[in-house]
Amino acid sequence: MVLWWNTAGALDRQVEASIRADATALVERRRAGDIGALVSAIEDRLALDVANEALYLLLGPDNRRLAGNLSAWPVEASGEQPWMRIPLERDGAMTEARLLRVDLGDGHRLLVGRDVAEKLRLRALLSEGIAWAASASAGLAVLGAWLLRRALENRLRPVYRTAAAVASGDLSPRVPLTERGDEFDKLGATMNAMLDRIAQLMEGVRGVSDAIAHDLRTPIARARAKLEEAQASAEDEAALRAAIEQGIADLDGIARVFQAVLRIAEVEAGARRAAFRPTDLSPMLADVAELYGASAEAHDQHLVAEIPERLPLVGDRDLLGQALVNLLDNALKFTPEGGTVRLAARLGPDAVEIAVSDDGPGMPEADRRRAGERFFRADSARSTPGSGLGLSLVRAVAALHAGEVLLTDTHPGAERPGLTVTLRLPSA
Amino acid sequence: MAHDAWMLRLAPLAFVLLATQVAMPVAMPAANETPVRVTTDSGAYCQELVVRIAAQPNPGSDIRLLAEEGKRLCETGHVRTGIAKLRRALRATQQGS
Repeated sequence: MVLWWNTAGALDRQVEASIRADATALVERRRAGDIGALVSAIEDRLALDVANEALYLLLGPDNRRLAGNLSAWPVEASGEQPWMRIPLERDGAMTEARLLRVDLGDGHRLLVGRDVAEKLRLRALLSEGIAWAASASAGLAVLGAWLLRRALENRLRPVYRTAAAVASGDLSPRVPLTERGDEFDKLGATMNAMLDRIAQLMEGVRGVSDAIAHDLRTPIARARAKLEEAQASAEDEAALRAAIEQGIADLDGIARVFQAVLRIAEVEAGARRAAFRPTDLSPMLADVAELYGASAEAHDQHLVAEIPERLPLVGDRDLLGQALVNLLDNALKFTPEGGTVRLAARLGPDAVEIAVSDDGPGMPEADRRRAGERFFRADSARSTPGSGLGLSLVRAVAALHAGEVLLTDTHPGAERPGLTVTLRLPSA
Repeated sequence: MAHDAWMLRLAPLAFVLLATQVAMPVAMPAANETPVRVTTDSGAYCQELVVRIAAQPNPGSDIRLLAEEGKRLCETGHVRTGIAKLRRALRATQQGS
């Protein structure tokens, strides 16, 4: 349209400007003299019109033709619009004229115009050129779009196939990557990472389901067996009551395990993030250390606490307290009589570190990688009571606070290396 | 089949041409109307121009030759070409004066 406006459209504007200027000059001539001067001016213009394009018609009040080269007043000139296009006969051939009607005010009427046959031919040529150019552009655009679409389809086909295979239930396929490292490779790599994560989560869910089924079946079966035995062989009411109390205690233990699993799920889902507040961990650590210090003394163990004055961070104080309790529970559980458990906190430049060290048997490297999985218990811990959920909660709490859990030897190289669990959290 | 392919290729061109013609339609006379005619493409107008040139004082020889050529063309039926020559001669006389 812009091209049309600047070429063919310009021809029309040029004709209109010429007619308007001619008409204005003739009106001025009429104002300056009598009607005879206007007639003379029109005849002079026609006599000098070498291009043979000028068209005039001057009618008197009685519709008598006074000057001009049009045979009659055209029907179109009697309408309301001053500008018009009319068909024009010239040497027996039909052409077109552009006319402007001017009412001179005293009953005289004037038509000024131009034969636009040449302009029409030129316009047709320009139109054809524009049409061919537009057609060629459209063709190139369609071809380009088709090529682009085909290239996109080729690059995305492996992604479609992988997604289709995953949708059909097979999680093992991955998007093949090229060496180009372009956006499609980034998409494929992201999708592969997503599938890896989904597979890992599915494996985790499956593992948890298996673990729940396995680890809870034993205590439930044990409680049932005890109750059955009491029902069959209890000699008096006191024995029966004792058996029922034992059964209730066993069921309470099972309920606690369920509660722990639910809490870990809640923490991992991030539902507790709304409870984050700026807090100082020092008082809480001191309280817990005091409480567990008494418990340690009762078992002939020592709890040494090194807590700085301030440990500012943003987080959930209750969850962090629960995580610390789990760590101290574990440490005291695996520390022999006379051993020492150390609770050391430190405020680094960008993190708060809370380390709980024990003198226990330690944990092999292979087990450390799995420590934190729900219900996982190292072989060396089979003989001690526990559900295998304590460190899972600690890891979930650390992840919720954008922190990490590190497992190291307390006494590297020693026969009983012990275990140091360090909770590293971003400081406020 | 080849004809169909050409039609398909020319379809956009036809569309654009049609659009331009619709945007700026060419005027056509109504069936029952006599079209307006140009009266200056006639032998009478040729004569009128010849008289005008003759009335000019002291036209040069070139102008006279041009005017005579125009007059001769009119007389031999080439009215529009003759009128163009006469007009050119008339313009030359006015520019000379």
